[in-house]
Amino acid sequence: MSYKKTLLIDCSEAAFCCDKAQYKEASVTEKLKMLLHIIYCKKCKKYSKNNVRLTELIEQSAIKTCTEEEKKAWKTKIEKESANQ
Amino acid sequence: MSINKIDPNKWVDKYSDYLFNFTIVRVNDRELANDLISETFLAGLKSMKNFKGEATERTWLISILKRKIIDHYRKSNSKKGKAEIKIHYNEDSNEGDWLEENAPDLLDKTAEDVMENEELGIAILDCMQQLTEKQAKIFKMKTIDGFETEAICNEFNITPSNLWVIIHRARTSLAQCLEKNWF
Repeated sequence: MSYKKTLLIDCSEAAFCCDKAQYKEASVTEKLKMLLHIIYCKKCKKYSKNNVRLTELIEQSAIKTCTEEEKKAWKTKIEKESANQ
Repeated sequence: MSINKIDPNKWVDKYSDYLFNFTIVRVNDRELANDLISETFLAGLKSMKNFKGEATERTWLISILKRKIIDHYRKSNSKKGKAEIKIHYNEDSNEGDWLEENAPDLLDKTAEDVMENEELGIAILDCMQQLTEKQAKIFKMKTIDGFETEAICNEFNITPSNLWVIIHRARTSLAQCLEKNWF
């Protein structure tokens, strides 16, 4: 019965594996366990599908973030200007 | 309806990524985008007393930013002493139809792609507003900036399992938010 313990995972673990897979941080075993889980779990299957889509969308959108230095520079400017008012 | 309030100290953390993505697709130059956003914040500070609270703070800042972008293009055009748009039409050959030639080329998808990407980017950033500040920050670091799990854990002083819980919540919330229009 030990294979059940190792191979069959619950929803929260499946979600965890699925999230990690989005960042290419899931191991082969983790992926396998997750795939096995979503064969019989509709809820996780849907989560997994949406999660993959979300990764695609974010890549496609090419969102950029501002660096901490840029943010700091703006903050200083705003503080200075506020003090002058 | 609640009246929107203004708090300049929060502007950078709350809106800079949004304003930046809005600007960069329009001016395509990081340094210039930075300057325009600085100007926007300063102009916002100056005209704070005129903010009636009818729009959200972000909408209001975007409207200032739009003006700054337009002003920038006006200035750069007047420097050249002529308008940027030129129409090349060869009067000698009557090949093709004038109007058709000036209509956007449907095979040239780049402009459309840019538009769709922008809409999508804005939609994602909109949805991120629903996350807590910490969630949003960690999610962006991990997903957009591609920081290692360990680096983020060190910075925020959290364990990897904390991090994955935060990522999971953020992803669930974003997927729900985007589901209607983008899935």
